[in-house]
Amino acid sequence: MTLQTQIEAALYEVIDPELGVNIMDLGLIYGIQIDDDNNVTITMTLTTPGCPMHDTISNGVKYRVGQMDGIGEIDVNIVWEPAWSPANMSDHAKDMLGIG
Amino acid sequence: MMPGANMKIDTNIKLPLAFIVYALIAFAAAQLIFLLHHDLLVAGQMRMPDIWMGAHFLLLGFALMVAMGAMYQLVPVAFLTPIWNQTFGFAQFYFTAIGITGFAILLGIKPDSAIYGGIIAVIGVMMFIIQMTITIFKQEKKNKMTLFVAGAIICLSLTIAAGFLLAWNIALGGIASHTKLVLSHIVLGVAGWFTLLIFGFSYKLVPMFSLSHGYSMKWAKASFFSYITGLIVLISSFWLENNTLQTIGWLLLLIGYGLFVLDIADILKKRFKKKLDKPFSFALFAIWIGFSIHVLAVIFRLLGIHDPIIWSWLIFLYIMGWIIFSILGYLYKIVPVLWWTYKYSDRVGKERVPLLKDMINEKLSLVLFSLFIIGVAGLAIGGIVHIEMAVFIFQSLLSLISLVYTISIIRVLFV
Repeated sequence: MTLQTQIEAALYEVIDPELGVNIMDLGLIYGIQIDDDNNVTITMTLTTPGCPMHDTISNGVKYRVGQMDGIGEIDVNIVWEPAWSPANMSDHAKDMLGIG
Repeated sequence: MMPGANMKIDTNIKLPLAFIVYALIAFAAAQLIFLLHHDLLVAGQMRMPDIWMGAHFLLLGFALMVAMGAMYQLVPVAFLTPIWNQTFGFAQFYFTAIGITGFAILLGIKPDSAIYGGIIAVIGVMMFIIQMTITIFKQEKKNKMTLFVAGAIICLSLTIAAGFLLAWNIALGGIASHTKLVLSHIVLGVAGWFTLLIFGFSYKLVPMFSLSHGYSMKWAKASFFSYITGLIVLISSFWLENNTLQTIGWLLLLIGYGLFVLDIADILKKRFKKKLDKPFSFALFAIWIGFSIHVLAVIFRLLGIHDPIIWSWLIFLYIMGWIIFSILGYLYKIVPVLWWTYKYSDRVGKERVPLLKDMINEKLSLVLFSLFIIGVAGLAIGGIVHIEMAVFIFQSLLSLISLVYTISIIRVLFV
């Protein structure tokens, strides 16, 4: 399993507390970059700018990835463009939220 | 991609919580005061010291303090701008809490000394206005919400100035236009400050809690300018004693409110979360109550209904049905978020943490909100048709539910 895949798997454990769905299925993660020293930059968004859980979710991401072995520095970069859209959600997330 | 705020923007959770806990106690106190003096409510005597005390515990102690606490929490995240000075915020809390408590109690027991509590409360509110003004000026990218919040803060400043003059007049006299000042104070505070603030935050919170996307908010600016113009025209009509102008003022307020409702309806139509939380649905219901009261106000003006008792109860319904219900609904969302952030945010990713909905009893909230609606409707009807027993029963109900509501929110802090 590559480091990229391991990080993705770990991020399935970070849950948005308002929606009760993990951030991977919500489609909040836009990109994961890993350099030669295993420093990780995660580019992500939130369902809406001004989400009260802004710091909480980004800190959760940082913490969960930091628990993994062999990881260097972790940088979580929250972006608002492109804006998150419900189309980003997986079918599993849609099912959980009752969206047909 | 536009870089977002990779900075820490959270407020120290103790700051908004201090305001909210004080507010909840003031809420229960206000309802108990109204219960003790229900005879004045039956007589339609709203402008009596004991009712002033209850009204100011309700509007300043509860609604204003909740609004301040909510702004300390929401402004940084919604405007992506940190609060200017949190230590100043704590000092502001103590000034405002002591000032409001002293002011409200003195209004009830020694109105001519109320100005001394009022001075401390005014200092507290001015500190809040300074805090928020500097914070908003620091916001890099202004949006429609900024417009509403800035408008609300200007109205709050004017409300406080008018309120201070009223307290001054009661203590020292010298201002002949007392009634005009009272009316301006009520309109600026109730419609200006609270309504514009709830409009502004609704534009942020309604899409967020309903997971809405693809909506336009196309009426927001028109709504703001219509509502502000309505406030100016209505207040001018009091001072110019012009009936036509007063009707035009009410009409402009209705148009402003109606445009806001159109935007909210569009947001809800385009929501992805089909089953909305009960407390949030209650806050949405309050929007329709507020709209209905604006419609009634225009109809009463057009029909020439000037009975002060009817208008007093209309103001009561506006305060309870729109402002207080909105706050009660949103508090059930805001307090769990605050407490969750305080208690669990550093455990996300480490261990399983509860969801926000696990922190509140949604079934109880449905019962409480239904009883609030029954209580307020029953009280207003009992008051308008002068049935003392009905006023006593429904005010008792409201006092009891307020107490249970307060306990149910404080209980969240022990989850």
